[in-house]
Amino acid sequence: MKMMWFHFMPYPALPDDFNKKHRSVWVDIDPALFDRDILAESYDTYIDQLVYAEECGFDAICINEHHNNGYGMMPSPNLIAAVLANRTSKAAITVLGNSVALYNPPVRVAEEFAMIDLFSRGRLIAGFPVGTSMDTCYSYGVNPSQLRPKYYEGIDLIRKAWTSTEPFAYNGEFNKHRYVNPVPRPFQKPHPPIWIPGGGSIETWDFCAENDYVYGALTYYGHKFVRETVGGYWNRVEAHGKDYNPNRLAVTQFVGVADTDAEAYKLYKEPAEYFFNRSLHVYPGFTDPPGYVTEASVRARYKSAVRAAARAKQAAHDLTWDEMVENGYVVIGSPDTVREQLEAAAKDLNVGNLCAILHFGNMSNELVRYNTKLFGEKVAPDLKPMFGEWDHHWWPSGADTTSPEVSA
Amino acid sequence: MSTIVYLPGIAGNAGLSPALQQLADEGARIVIPDIPGFNGASGFTPPADYLDWLAVFWDVIDASGVLADGSVALIGASVGGMIAAEIAALRPEIVSKLVLLAPFGIADASNPGFDLYAVRTPERMAHLFAKGVPEQIANRFAHYGPEEEPVAVYLADIAAASLLWPLGDRGLNKRLHRIGCPKLVLWGGQDELLPPSLIDAWGGGTVIDGAGHLLEWDTPDEVASAVRSFLA
Repeated sequence: MKMMWFHFMPYPALPDDFNKKHRSVWVDIDPALFDRDILAESYDTYIDQLVYAEECGFDAICINEHHNNGYGMMPSPNLIAAVLANRTSKAAITVLGNSVALYNPPVRVAEEFAMIDLFSRGRLIAGFPVGTSMDTCYSYGVNPSQLRPKYYEGIDLIRKAWTSTEPFAYNGEFNKHRYVNPVPRPFQKPHPPIWIPGGGSIETWDFCAENDYVYGALTYYGHKFVRETVGGYWNRVEAHGKDYNPNRLAVTQFVGVADTDAEAYKLYKEPAEYFFNRSLHVYPGFTDPPGYVTEASVRARYKSAVRAAARAKQAAHDLTWDEMVENGYVVIGSPDTVREQLEAAAKDLNVGNLCAILHFGNMSNELVRYNTKLFGEKVAPDLKPMFGEWDHHWWPSGADTTSPEVSA
Repeated sequence: MSTIVYLPGIAGNAGLSPALQQLADEGARIVIPDIPGFNGASGFTPPADYLDWLAVFWDVIDASGVLADGSVALIGASVGGMIAAEIAALRPEIVSKLVLLAPFGIADASNPGFDLYAVRTPERMAHLFAKGVPEQIANRFAHYGPEEEPVAVYLADIAAASLLWPLGDRGLNKRLHRIGCPKLVLWGGQDELLPPSLIDAWGGGTVIDGAGHLLEWDTPDEVASAVRSFLA
């Protein structure tokens, strides 16, 4: 199993009364909340943490794209990826990803991803999320009913741009070009592996299964909550006649490791509460733009009691630390405890790529490094051999973390 | 009185509004084109291109046979008002008179109004009316049955939102000069979505106090009276 270290890059200093005084962490968050010195220092610290993850033996470092957001300060993950490509040498650089429909033209994504792939000598995983409604429809003004058609067409254009051996014309519904001919093309041939982060829509499952893309079940709520989504995905994989290779799937999971279970319970309470009860303070009105999901998905939505319950819980802002732990939103404990839980979850979900979130909320740099080192030294080595019988067809050809060198 | 074609507003096709029902009871022939999406029917995908969307309206109106005897009076409310104005501007030969009830199509970024799509689906209707959600609106898709009704509501929302996102501005101010037929513009004084001050951008009209965005439901007597006089 691949061990991947995922950073959201949250703003770490939202006020204690944020939930009471502000309606949303996303879209219309008050810009006066952000201090430029904290922003600048956070970028430095966060990039250092990602570099440290490679030192601790993680197979990949992961970043993502959000806009108008107080818990994700990466409107341009490609800028971060460019820095990481320069400062690391072995880990896969996983950009999960570029929200294709936001780029006009999407050829820009083909160009920038190709540059990152070249900078890193073939270590890029190219993620193409549809993007949340908050990012795409509200922050960037994309018509929700056009988002998915634009997205699919954009990926088609990017793939053709990467693999064509000569300039070509493209006549899509949204993109019309007389000359598509990006310089450069990617380092990896025919192109970097494509991963599709998703939140549980049926059409995304089918899209991944049909095209043999990795599906990234990106959830804040951990392995128990994501079972329904993952089950739906594997059903579609089976329906398309594809194998059960666990490497077709990636799942996010908040993790907190400490020397003992009791210590972990004590250490990770505050940053988890900050994340779940402050960073996820999203105004519900920004989650339901008409057309963002298809008719099939909206029909399924009304039948999903699990999701409805989680949403209601989130909307109420009343998550307790014990609930977070009990429900698996955060897996915490000693290395043995965490390893056992993650191993069981990985088997249950049949997931070959674990996107561990070891920084969350307002966690201090010291605690992030402690968490990362413990995980790298005492959890990851026993998990990495899992699913070794399966080939990983979706791993970048230039990535290699076979010999970790851990510094203090 | 000419045949009237009515293009309903942002709530989708809920049948004749009380204002138009008054005119129908007096003998007016009123046709509501069965526009995909606005009727809540399954299998709807909105055209991505605005011109393609306009062509859907045109095709349905043409196919309805309502133009067999010549031009018609066109009444459009909300998003339907935007389309009605487009038709009057681009196909002036088929519109004898035009009634616009708080039309979208022109926005004022300095006063964009309430964002109807920044509330969840079940909460939207309450923002369209000053006097509560009429039962006929609340149950407009009940005929689909309890399981499919919320899906129909969602599809109708998609239809309207696909035409309006993100500001409801389609640059109609650049085409208004093409509207040559007589025009009546009415606006609800308590319209949350489109500030009544926008009426000036449409060349002026009458603001009706006590009405929200879908004014033909909130103030049927006042709207019916104004339309009756205008079309007489």
